[in-house]
Amino acid sequence: MSASSPLFLGETQVGQTVRVLALELEPDFVEWLRAVGIHEGERVTVLRRALFGGPIHVRTGSGGEFALNRQLARSIRVAHLEPEVRA
Amino acid sequence: MSAPPSPEPSFDEKTMAREEPSSRAPKLSRPEHDASCHGPQGRDEVREARGKPLVALVGRPNSGKSSLYNAVTGARAHVGNFPGITVDILEADLTLPGGIDVSMADLPGFYTLESVIDPATDEGIARRVLDRALEEERRLLVVQVIDATQLALGLRLTRELAARPFRLLVVVSQCDILEGQGRALDKAALSDSIGAPVLAVSARDPQTSAKVREAAARALEANDPLREKPAWEPDALARKVVSDVASASAAARRRRELTARADRWLLHPLLGPVLFLGLMALVFAAVFLVADPTTNALDAGIGALGSRVSKLLGGGLLGSFVSDGLLGGAGTVLAFMPQIVILTVAMELLEASGYLARGAFLVDRLLRLLGLSGRSFVPLLMGHACAVPAISATRIVRDPRERLTTILVLPLMTCSARIPTYALVLTTFFPAGNALFKACIFVGLYFAGILSGLVASLVLRRTATRGRTLPLVLEMPAYRAPQPRVIARQSMSAALRFLREIGTSILAASAILWVLLTIPAPGASSRIEPQDAATSAASSASASSSTSTEPARTLVLERSVGAMVGRALEPLTSPVGFDWRINAGLIGSFGARELMVSTMGIIYGIEDVSDDPAPLSTRMRTTKKLDGSPAYTVRTGLALLAFFLFACQCMSTVAAIRRETKSIRWPAFVLAYTYAIAYAAALIVYQVSGFLGVG
Repeated sequence: MSASSPLFLGETQVGQTVRVLALELEPDFVEWLRAVGIHEGERVTVLRRALFGGPIHVRTGSGGEFALNRQLARSIRVAHLEPEVRA
Repeated sequence: MSAPPSPEPSFDEKTMAREEPSSRAPKLSRPEHDASCHGPQGRDEVREARGKPLVALVGRPNSGKSSLYNAVTGARAHVGNFPGITVDILEADLTLPGGIDVSMADLPGFYTLESVIDPATDEGIARRVLDRALEEERRLLVVQVIDATQLALGLRLTRELAARPFRLLVVVSQCDILEGQGRALDKAALSDSIGAPVLAVSARDPQTSAKVREAAARALEANDPLREKPAWEPDALARKVVSDVASASAAARRRRELTARADRWLLHPLLGPVLFLGLMALVFAAVFLVADPTTNALDAGIGALGSRVSKLLGGGLLGSFVSDGLLGGAGTVLAFMPQIVILTVAMELLEASGYLARGAFLVDRLLRLLGLSGRSFVPLLMGHACAVPAISATRIVRDPRERLTTILVLPLMTCSARIPTYALVLTTFFPAGNALFKACIFVGLYFAGILSGLVASLVLRRTATRGRTLPLVLEMPAYRAPQPRVIARQSMSAALRFLREIGTSILAASAILWVLLTIPAPGASSRIEPQDAATSAASSASASSSTSTEPARTLVLERSVGAMVGRALEPLTSPVGFDWRINAGLIGSFGARELMVSTMGIIYGIEDVSDDPAPLSTRMRTTKKLDGSPAYTVRTGLALLAFFLFACQCMSTVAAIRRETKSIRWPAFVLAYTYAIAYAAALIVYQVSGFLGVG
């Protein structure tokens, strides 16, 4: 687990696995996203990005796959982890 | 675009916000609802006095909840009556083993009860239903459906539910898939940890319904729960209760690889959108190929019934009212049915297979430019067949403001009912145009509809529906094989609900229009202008297929209130090239666009105009003004096309908007803005084409 300088989920590369550090959103959104399965400490692997700044497709450590729009992804602070062994 | 109804309409609070802002308050977690304050005994005494026990089916979206609801309730579902909840919640009456009569309600899929972002979202609605049941001290069993393959995610909601003062039953679905992955669930350990009974079911198990009913009966009979704040963590618990029984399972790996491989193609940045659009094109081809003959058969059947009724009741007013007014209206409603069924089947298939979320992913960026999200794509697309089911389909849009925007722009999409009118106008005014030319016009009209919808949503998001947008989080479910039985049942219930809810307003509108176009206006006989009388006389003489009643019908219409209104509107519509006949046709088609053709047919005394608009188009082309110049020219045709492109000439759509927004303000707004654009567009087209010297 090699934590590097913090970055946002919107800036990560496809195939990277990151850990969510913080959600820079209004508190009720943060709580709602926690219930959905995206919260501090959760491991997230970026599977793909849609073209032209479209949503990013991620898999969370709890087993869910989600598409998050870029605006949202730019509000999620993350730190790098080693890439997942199995896609 | 006309101005929004008010400078700052707050959609949340005034329309879909479904009355009380108090739903933001976390009622369910109030201490007075805690079981510690109500002894089991005390509650037993009150509960018998209340209504039937409520079995509420809850779960995350895509958890398999609706499949389970369908399996357990069969065809008995009806729209439940939940005071203060304005979204339809399906409910069914059941008798559980032991003779307990209950109501089972299928609540919208939601993620949390604690963090309700907005009372109009699915979370807010679900919480209100549960709140209400607790307030009424109704016996309440919450059945949570969890997808076994995403146990950790489902258990987050379980943890919230387990802290609440109601009985809880957890149904773990998709256990067959879990087994296929080479894993097994320890039900007993799960049940011990969460303190509620757990039932494991598989989609294809015919015993599912019986098992759920039995478990529900047992859970309802159990003592009231004594809840404490759950101490377990969802992720850790999921890891504890699911074990790999065959860790080297080839099936598990194959399934994962299949989904990944499918996504590699279906979500490919370039190929993905092409495949998605191709699939959508196929769906629409199916709608037109299958719906058209069915619609024609229905039309023919209703026509035959109408003439039989006419014969039975005589040619008088009553006969006309029943055959033209009521049966004509019923025909309009029934003509939508094949499309609705086909679209519902297609959309259910896409949804159940997990592909619909992928489609939204692919087109999200495009729609975001316009203030919408990928979720709006499907309703907008469905709007091309018929706005009515599309307006219901906007329920998949989570964001209330985005949903309202989608509803408001849907009437601009080129629905299939516009096609007969376009065809009539094209046949009438462009008789020389070949098939390619007409096809190009049709494609142009479709694109104009899409473009206007996009521009309208852009404007609305900055005016009438501006406000906070919820973050887009689209769950990408695993690919699954849809269950034909569930899809058949969903389609049937969509068709029946459409019939019941929209049918009534269509019938009422048809009856009113019949009155408008039949009842003579005071002093009407003296109002017929010389050229009108000449036209009708000529038309009845020249039409080879005329029957003796046609001139009479034509005269009736010419003297009707509708014709009077048509004449009164002439000063307004002559700048766009419309005369009283077209105005009367527009009044006639207010109920449904395709009625333009038949109303014009009646004006010109032609029967069966829907089957062959050729005689009508000839008659319209040869109609002359007093000075001998043609009454209608290519310019009139272009102006009519422009008008029909934008005007919300559809009572069913208006009724559907009323139903979904629970307000008359939004349907009124839709009528106002679409007619304003339609008139402006027709005016520009008529005047500019005149300026350019178009004949």
